[in-house]
Amino acid sequence: MATTLVSSSMSELVQIEEVLWEIPASARPDMRVPARVFADRELLEAIARDESLVQLQNVATLPGVVGAALAMPDIHQGYGFPVGGVAAMELPDGVVSPGGVGYDINCGVRLLALPVSEPELGARREALVHEISRTVPAGAGKESPLFHVDLDRVLREGSQAIGSGEDIERTESRGCLPGADPAAVSERAKARGRGQVGTMGSGNHFVEVQYVDRVFDSEAARVFGLAEKQVTVLIHSGSRGLGHQVCTDYVRRMDAAMQRHGIRLPDRQLACAPASSPEGQSYLAAMAAAANFAWANRQGIADAVRRAVARALGASVARGTRQVYDVAHNVAKVEEYDGRRVLVHRKGATRAFPAGSTDIPEEYRPVGQPVFIPGSMGTASYVLVGAPGSMVKSFGTTCHGAGRMLSRTAARKRIGGNELRRELEARGIVVRCPSPRGLAEEAPFAYKDVERVVDVVERAGLARRVARLVPIGVVKG
Amino acid sequence: MYRFLDHTGELALEIEAGSPEEVLAQALEALAEVIRTDDLGAPTTREVEVESSDRETLLADWLSELVFLADTEGFVPERVCSLELADAKLRATVEGRLGRPSPLVKAVTYHGLELGRKGDGYYARVVFDV
Repeated sequence: MATTLVSSSMSELVQIEEVLWEIPASARPDMRVPARVFADRELLEAIARDESLVQLQNVATLPGVVGAALAMPDIHQGYGFPVGGVAAMELPDGVVSPGGVGYDINCGVRLLALPVSEPELGARREALVHEISRTVPAGAGKESPLFHVDLDRVLREGSQAIGSGEDIERTESRGCLPGADPAAVSERAKARGRGQVGTMGSGNHFVEVQYVDRVFDSEAARVFGLAEKQVTVLIHSGSRGLGHQVCTDYVRRMDAAMQRHGIRLPDRQLACAPASSPEGQSYLAAMAAAANFAWANRQGIADAVRRAVARALGASVARGTRQVYDVAHNVAKVEEYDGRRVLVHRKGATRAFPAGSTDIPEEYRPVGQPVFIPGSMGTASYVLVGAPGSMVKSFGTTCHGAGRMLSRTAARKRIGGNELRRELEARGIVVRCPSPRGLAEEAPFAYKDVERVVDVVERAGLARRVARLVPIGVVKG
Repeated sequence: MYRFLDHTGELALEIEAGSPEEVLAQALEALAEVIRTDDLGAPTTREVEVESSDRETLLADWLSELVFLADTEGFVPERVCSLELADAKLRATVEGRLGRPSPLVKAVTYHGLELGRKGDGYYARVVFDV
């Protein structure tokens, strides 16, 4: 039976499944499709406290949107699109919206598994975290081995420009989106990206040393090469200044072209153009190039992590450090659902293809695609596997993280960076971060509870838990 | 006068000033407050020219230009030395220092962008992606 939840901002939210809520398309005259949110009651109440649901309804007005505008349980207010939003546009003439991908194009995560257990690592963990903080640069610097890499080649080939073998096979889209055109990327964007391949960046980006503290699905864990107590390294970064500038350039260009395309929107940051238009085609070529830059960036970071592992734990441990997978959190991709080709925008959401998909590495097809859900700093992260429900309910998508709940200012007001560092270290987590302010802004209480977010996507049938990872060291830019 | 507002994932800036020129100068100072670090070098100036479709877009594009200079040259702005404003076009000389600015501000959005008259003065609002 459908029940209606009345909240301060939303009176027309109808429960259509145990953890799925809908605002019908009739709620606003400009909505073309319903807006749907995956959440339990408690998360929904947190979600209704900011502008996320209004932003989701705004997404439901975009020309060519099909099915529903979707929100994952980690949704929070963004600008234009909410973070944790998914929208599929019918091709060829549905729109593409740079804001629907976001400024950090192909921000994503890559998981490495080390051939050592947490007890074996023992007291060497401090040395490992220290070496990683020395080896992975936060920002551009001439000392980086990738400082002089051929940028146009990176934009065309992605991680294939610098990586090889298993690392490529175990990366979403094999680390290279087709259709990338360096000529569609402005010189200004290239100027911001130059020297930044293989650098972490700031904000919520990090490299975390963890271990598997619990396995939920032993078969999937075995296929992914993960075992209890095993040490892992999670890398979270994106396309750096290059991606930010690509988004800035194309929001500006599409904003100026909207009148010509006869598009009216409730929020300018949703600026969009038909995917088939010159602006749409050019953005898709530039976005693919920026996505490729991000995959090369995480490849460069992974290579640096392996060098750090070699120094701290020896060359044979570095050689045995294998990539589990690499997934994008912010990207638009052409996919097919029910025989219909659509452009799926994922902004703060992860592709989660189930067992049998031909778009995932052959070795993973018996179980499905790995998905990594970083928790907030100092809390557990999850390895999930895509489940069949994602293909019928969410355009092959699941959540991407815990989801911010408090603003950065509010987080800083509640705790100082040095106090947080002491708290984390008291819990046995080694912290390397040059900025106490940056540390405080990422305090765990500023985020939703990752356990609850993961619980919702599992109950909705979008993805299943495989393993839980707990942190033992954090390196932030 | 400017102030930053809480916005779950981002940073919103509100400005009240006596003229559009003053709004643009205040916006620069607000951005500088966010990206300034202790690691600053010698003073220098930059010439900035921006042309947009309207005044409020000009505010966002002006800040985008300053973010670009910070990211590519390490230029931390301190104050506007001169500013010529005509319709939605500006030409400015900006004084600042070269250093290692905080990369906190990734971009300047058009979300909830405002610049208009309020009472005897002007009001503006702009949201940074951080």
